[in-house]
Amino acid sequence: MAYALLLPGIAYFTVYFFYPIAVEFWASLFRGQPLIGHAQFAGLANYVVALTDATVRHSFLITLVYAVGTTVFTLLIGLGLAAILAGPVRANALIRAIIFFPYIISFVIVALMWKSLLDPYTGILNSVLITLGLPTQNWLSTPSSALPTMIAVSVWKDVGYAMLIYIAAIQGIPEQLYEAASIDGAKPRQIFTRITVPLLMPTTLFLAVVSMISNLQDMSAPFLLTNGGPANATRLFSLHVYETAFVQLEIGYASALSFLMFLIILLITFIQFKLLGREVAY
Amino acid sequence: MSRKPGGHGPAASLAIYAVLALAVLLAVFPFIYMISLSLQSDADIYSGVPVIIPQTLQFSNYVDIWERAPFVRFILNSFIIAGGITLLHLIFDPLIGYVFAKMKFPGKRVMFAALLSTLMLPFFIRMIPLYLLTAQMGMLNTYQGLILPFAMSAYGIFLMRQFIAPIPNDLIDAARIDGANDLVIYWRIVLPQLRPALATLALLTFVFQFNEFLWPLIVVSSTEMRPITTGLTLFNQEFFTQWNLTATGGVILFLPSFLLFLITQRYFIRSVMMSGMK
Repeated sequence: MAYALLLPGIAYFTVYFFYPIAVEFWASLFRGQPLIGHAQFAGLANYVVALTDATVRHSFLITLVYAVGTTVFTLLIGLGLAAILAGPVRANALIRAIIFFPYIISFVIVALMWKSLLDPYTGILNSVLITLGLPTQNWLSTPSSALPTMIAVSVWKDVGYAMLIYIAAIQGIPEQLYEAASIDGAKPRQIFTRITVPLLMPTTLFLAVVSMISNLQDMSAPFLLTNGGPANATRLFSLHVYETAFVQLEIGYASALSFLMFLIILLITFIQFKLLGREVAY
Repeated sequence: MSRKPGGHGPAASLAIYAVLALAVLLAVFPFIYMISLSLQSDADIYSGVPVIIPQTLQFSNYVDIWERAPFVRFILNSFIIAGGITLLHLIFDPLIGYVFAKMKFPGKRVMFAALLSTLMLPFFIRMIPLYLLTAQMGMLNTYQGLILPFAMSAYGIFLMRQFIAPIPNDLIDAARIDGANDLVIYWRIVLPQLRPALATLALLTFVFQFNEFLWPLIVVSSTEMRPITTGLTLFNQEFFTQWNLTATGGVILFLPSFLLFLITQRYFIRSVMMSGMK
């Protein structure tokens, strides 16, 4: 009976999760358009090309910067806001809701709003800078500032989620621990760094893994904010793979790139568990 | 008691409220500016200075935009796709969650581990083979092709299992002694107790599927099959510098999520905090 009830699930996860990974590896062994068009067996040649391609290396490096940058700032700011909002603050629920809201909005809207705010000529940010007598910036169209700006927009969108998860975790820490520390004369800052932060390690691990996996593969931000420019400064790996597969129609080569990313995500997740995943006991 | 910011004295308290005020302003301002842009005239847009409060509110933008692109069809498509996916989740996620929570069978641990391992296979990694498979099944540019790849999720199943586990086994065993099979038990005993959990699942699934951008971008080839996300993006590329019209489209895409969030806000926040689900 159990197997009968599981059958749709087994079928679905096989067809849409496990089989595709095999198909991807198979497709990565061909040049051209395997399974749907003309293709030529190439063995591991695609992998050799990928590992020696400077464009691939560049886009992988900036993807790593983007994912790590977004994750670190999202978690730090999220934790800071959570530390404040886990306590009794006026209008607490409303403030949480407002800060969380950008997380559930389509990146299409996020990109549209921030592109208009950051527009070098008609954007609000630059006109505020002019009023303050500060130098203006072509935020998304200067190679040196495009990637940091993109990270900032992603942090803006994600921070409310990290905040909520941290609030839930902080409220789960037993009150006695805080009382005991206060009695022992610990200062609020010591309590935060010695009790709260270490006890939040499992939550930090969870958020870091989720955020890294989702940002390593993020295509919405580069596609919608910059289209990879200027001068490939924000051409994240995902966008590179997408264009290789669906614009240049090099599906075999793109499969190899995608399969490499799969291995890298596995590796990074494994490292995160090793680094952050030490047992925490109350 | 150290969690209370009030314990730090008035200066610290003031600093805390200043930080919160800044955070709220940063979170809200882009939306206000988008709504403002959506009501501006071309003269405001091209005046060379950013306008926050337009002198006259040009509501006609909201009329014009429907004539420039088939937004009604885009919105309808979004509801069909996100609604279809949500329905499939409601059918399958709790059922499979029930099997893992309450039934005993050989291979359960291995299968559950395999299920959770799919969380490590993000969509982007599977994008190319899914495209190839969808093409082979003849489902490119169809609703089936847009819906089926998202029919279930390990997150959803895991979440449902967490909700089903606390239901007393005595209740289930008693029904089994009375001759009910597992499907009957699931339908008569488990599902009725699961209503709040199902609402959580539906809400989170619908909101995130409504935002899906990448898959429709790849699979849809005709304008009339586009959901609002890709429909609006391609519309924006066409009217790139006309911020007022692109913002009007943005507000239209923003409204369904906003209204849903406004109505279910307390509940939504609690669901996210409880589930850690994306």
